[in-house]
Amino acid sequence: MSVEIFTTVMTLASSLVLLAGIAILWRRSLPAYIHAFARQSFFIVVAVLVLAARERDRELVLVALLMFALKVVFMPAALRRVQRHVGADADVRPYVNTPVSLAIAGILTLVAYAVAQPVVALSHLPTRGGMPLALASVFVGLFIVASRRSALSQIVGFLVMENGIALLAVLATYGVPLIVELGVFLDVLLGFLVMQVFVYRIRDAFETTDVDRLRSLRH
Amino acid sequence: MIGAGGGATGLGAILVEVLQGLLALLLAPGIVGLVRFIKARLQGRRGAPPWQPYRELAKLFGKEMVVSRNASWIFGVAPYVVFASTLAVALLVPMLAAPLPIDRAGDLIVVVYLLLLGTFAIGLAGLDPGSAFGGMGSSRALTIAALAEPTIALAVFALAVPAGSTNLGRIVARAIEDPGGALSPGHLMALAALFIVMLAEAGRLPVDNPATHLELTMIHEAMILEYSGRSLALLEWAAFLKFFVFLSLLANLGLPWGVALNPGASAVLVAAAILIVKVALLAAAVAVLETRLAKLRLFRVPELLSVSFLLALLAITSSFLVE
Repeated sequence: MSVEIFTTVMTLASSLVLLAGIAILWRRSLPAYIHAFARQSFFIVVAVLVLAARERDRELVLVALLMFALKVVFMPAALRRVQRHVGADADVRPYVNTPVSLAIAGILTLVAYAVAQPVVALSHLPTRGGMPLALASVFVGLFIVASRRSALSQIVGFLVMENGIALLAVLATYGVPLIVELGVFLDVLLGFLVMQVFVYRIRDAFETTDVDRLRSLRH
Repeated sequence: MIGAGGGATGLGAILVEVLQGLLALLLAPGIVGLVRFIKARLQGRRGAPPWQPYRELAKLFGKEMVVSRNASWIFGVAPYVVFASTLAVALLVPMLAAPLPIDRAGDLIVVVYLLLLGTFAIGLAGLDPGSAFGGMGSSRALTIAALAEPTIALAVFALAVPAGSTNLGRIVARAIEDPGGALSPGHLMALAALFIVMLAEAGRLPVDNPATHLELTMIHEAMILEYSGRSLALLEWAAFLKFFVFLSLLANLGLPWGVALNPGASAVLVAAAILIVKVALLAAAVAVLETRLAKLRLFRVPELLSVSFLLALLAITSSFLVE
């Protein structure tokens, strides 16, 4: 595989990751959010596998397999289960309407390009073209967390953010050591499980996962 | 006259142009018929044969024209403006051979605005007789056109930046020379944005349903509701032609292989055959897509178009800032 084709494929995969994140801003149901998240994770797995094939790195293959099991299979399934339980308020009402959120996503991408410029200039890796895109998908994840009402969509936003960070790590360092990767996976899994419990508790206490209602705790 | 780039000399190039215009005019109704036919089959109907649109056009040309008493001259002129501007676009888009002398007459920007000129004329014509449906259709069509225009401009520039020229022939020629560039995210996202805009501009399914005259949904049909006879035939033909031009533009920008770089007789004939295959495949893809999609509510159309705008923005970002 020549360097040019490798660069193009990696940038393409990073773009697809960002687009899958942005797709969440366009869709309006939780199952669609979860599907988009699974797809985004899948694109990252593909990127890691391409990198592994180029570097002939067995550890990276292991990382890709773990990522596939955790983020493409387990987490979406768990999210779907929670969503079925919580059920009723599957209707997601964002604070910001769709065209404006899409415009904000565009601005965030431009900001990511501006912010990542020095880092990209320092790097000599052929994957550097994807770094601003990974950063943009971190920003988009953060924006999903900030702009959605339902606690479940906020979890999806958090996971999108985490995906962006994972992709950035892969692009910037060609994969961190396996032990670090394992630690991160465990962290994300734990965070995810804790949040899942919280969603159930919120649901039990308020009969909705709309975090706006949590304001009544103040009184 | 010196050919722009390739060995395009005067007479040969003009012949290619004429051939291209004739090909587009003659094939356009067939391609729309093909889409309708595949859609019918996918929906479990038998469907009219793909050459049905030719019969419709022939019949309409033979019919008497009825013009509303309230209509002004705009109503009479509009079909000719729409047809002429679309035909001009069909000549400017590189279909058979890449750098042609006529490329100098207009680049991508001219193509975009010629298409908009047609939309504008048909919008005026919808308003002119003062019928309720016509006004509604015009208002909707121009809203969509206003939202689609910035997207087209951005997507076009995203394609033009790597080629270093807004000249369509140059862009296609460069894509043939550098096949790796066709896979770059900027190029692909620009094409995706153009595809969505194509669906909106050509009045295809998620935006407008070309198969119904239901007042709640129609856009293009509402504007041409007052037309009959020859004028209606011209407007329909122009609509077919517009769809064909968009398809061949997408096909040649996305998969430029097969476009002749020198206008020799055999190369051009091969290019014509390949073009027909590419456009037919793309038309089949549109038919499958239309079978799977429901029409969007009118108020969700701006969301779809902002998606395509975002795609175009990302495309231009990645082709500008990565260079």
